[in-house]
Amino acid sequence: MSLENILSNAQRGQRELGAEKKVGWDEVTQGVVINAFEYDATNVSRELSEDRKYSDFSSYTATVASWRIIKPIYNRDICIDCQNCWVWCPDTSIISRDKQMLGIDYDHCKGCGVCVEVCPTNPKSLLMFAETADGEECLAGWPVKEKKAKETETE
Amino acid sequence: MVEIRWHSRAGQGAVTGAKGLGDVVSTTGKQVQAFALYGSAKRGAAMRAYNRIDDEQIINHEKFMNPDFVLVIDPALAFTDDITVNDKPTTQYIVTTHTDKETLIAGIPALQDKADRVFIVDCMEISVDTIGRAVPNAPMLGAFIKISGMFELDYFLDRMKKVLSKFPQKIIDSNMQAITRAYNEVK
Amino acid sequence: MAEKIELQKVEVWDGNYAASHALRQAQVDVVAAYPITPSTPIVENYGQFVADGYIDGEFVMVESEHAAMSGCVGAAASGGRVATATSSQGFALMVEVLYQASGMRLPIVLNVVNRALASPLNVRGDHSDMYLGRDSGWIQMDAFNAQEAYDMNLCAFRVGEHMDIRLPVMVHQDGFITSHTAQNVNPLSDEEAYKFVGVYNPVEEMLDFSRPVTYGAQTEEDWHYEHKARQHKALMDARPVIESVFAEFQKVSGRQYKRVETYMTEDAEVIIVALGTTVESARVAAKQLREEEGIKAGVVAPRVLRPFPFDAIRDALQNCKAIGAMDRSSPGGALGMLFNEVSAAMYTTSARPVMSNYIYGLGGRDLSINAIKDIYRELQENATAGEITTPVQQFISLRGPKLSFFETRRS
Repeated sequence: MSLENILSNAQRGQRELGAEKKVGWDEVTQGVVINAFEYDATNVSRELSEDRKYSDFSSYTATVASWRIIKPIYNRDICIDCQNCWVWCPDTSIISRDKQMLGIDYDHCKGCGVCVEVCPTNPKSLLMFAETADGEECLAGWPVKEKKAKETETE
Repeated sequence: MVEIRWHSRAGQGAVTGAKGLGDVVSTTGKQVQAFALYGSAKRGAAMRAYNRIDDEQIINHEKFMNPDFVLVIDPALAFTDDITVNDKPTTQYIVTTHTDKETLIAGIPALQDKADRVFIVDCMEISVDTIGRAVPNAPMLGAFIKISGMFELDYFLDRMKKVLSKFPQKIIDSNMQAITRAYNEVK
Repeated sequence: MAEKIELQKVEVWDGNYAASHALRQAQVDVVAAYPITPSTPIVENYGQFVADGYIDGEFVMVESEHAAMSGCVGAAASGGRVATATSSQGFALMVEVLYQASGMRLPIVLNVVNRALASPLNVRGDHSDMYLGRDSGWIQMDAFNAQEAYDMNLCAFRVGEHMDIRLPVMVHQDGFITSHTAQNVNPLSDEEAYKFVGVYNPVEEMLDFSRPVTYGAQTEEDWHYEHKARQHKALMDARPVIESVFAEFQKVSGRQYKRVETYMTEDAEVIIVALGTTVESARVAAKQLREEEGIKAGVVAPRVLRPFPFDAIRDALQNCKAIGAMDRSSPGGALGMLFNEVSAAMYTTSARPVMSNYIYGLGGRDLSINAIKDIYRELQENATAGEITTPVQQFISLRGPKLSFFETRRS
């Protein structure tokens, strides 16, 4: 399963959050009830997100990418697939399948940096860079393992 | 419209008595109202319950009343509560007491000139003898139907059995005895 | 299947017991409640009916009235027929969730057994809690006696659950004066009542897994106003629905209800506008005064307080000369609610009856027939003079020096 496949759903990230069509009072939903899917969703929990038909009211179809000024870059070579970032991400923007970390959903990532904070590897497998930074360059200049201060002292 | 005021202590069954009377009266096609003034009163506190009986639907919701009958089911309240308040020249009093009528009236100045409208019955003794506890409401109902002439005794007993039908037979029987004894003993 | 109860043609019930039988006959699925005087027996009896097999339902114990209404909101959003009861302080604690229920368009039925609000603490009947709820977006129906507490409950389910409305409904009755006063009540049979109320049809229920929904979304200034407007429209549109439900209820019960109840208003010169048991006591006073003193007295009462029957109030009061609006709630630095709303309704017509405001009965203070007669006599003086001859707002049956506010500027 590749990241490209998972992010391939044509519905995802189609519009800016808050840029949805503003209907009049006579067209808003009764009771501010919001339905998440456009079809019989009885088995939706067994479907992968890229196969689901989300409704226009679901944030799946929206994007917040334009809010972001710094972004996390993911380094596959260091990651140990501990899933810490997947657990902690407040916007379910860490894409992981079969306990294997695949990458980041940049349509919904707001650049909060929590994934970097909770990453346990040394060096970290996720680091924050400027929104405009080039991914390849970032990976090329990835920091090397830091020696612990204690080890330095005993040398 | 017949209006009745019960003087009781919380726990002596005036509300149950007033509602029981209402239940029976309603079976005759009449309209009834049964309510009480208590609220957050403790057991033993003086309280009052009320009945209204009429042929028309009762839409008067004032608590104020000029009673046709005053039923006092606690012996001490006859002396300490204002049992003649808002009465009429025709108001009839049924007071539970273990003394005789002369002694009772001698102790209650407000009843001095109303002796011909005062009736006595010992609801306490009757309820202890028949029901086994001091619940003076049932005997007072017996005394009331005698004095008011509102029902024949047998009719009232028959209807009251239905009202009490959810209770064990022993309780129904003892209540019937209490009502009958008070009916016969009130004077 | 729940067992049925064979009811007598005439039962002697108090308002609480009458309401609880209506909840039983409607086969309410969930009651989440935190009992409070004087409404306690309604939910207590529901629990007893469930325990005895007369209702297929669930009584949910909670830790506060806020939790009680929250439980009701959850159960209603899940797709059940839901009801509860409260009074006074309990109602006040519920208020935050009342707005949630109406905003989410959940047809919960709440029995409000009207009681004064502390401080000072008081368990008796006045309309403080009913008034507190009047902007909460609920339909408010008012019962004047035990029979109506039963009838209004049955109608409340029909109105609230109507597909064009889907709003929660409060059924009000006066604490103690109705709730604890036993009177003749003619109930429907269990079959008739359930047939009238009907099977519950859920809308957007959360337990429908084929269509997952979110309740309680946040909306800011770009959406909130439209949603509240639609909600208000539904509340206003409830007026004809209430009328048609009342008409259907008349067919099964023989008892006729209107959004505004009128008594002897056709030729009335002086009219009292009131709520609750006061309406019936005022009818006693009006009838006596017509016979004894020739005063052409009448009574007008909103049966449905919300949506406010602005239209029907105008019709009912169009031809009278003086109106006494009687408010049984401490007015909190204003004129009484009925005075304000009735005055506003009349001011949008060319009629200019003399309006005055009477505050009475707070904390369960008895309202005697004689006190009502005194009001009618004052109204008669106003009618004759063509202007208000008393202060605009007066407290009646109050100990101490006369308490009143504002002189008229109309003559």
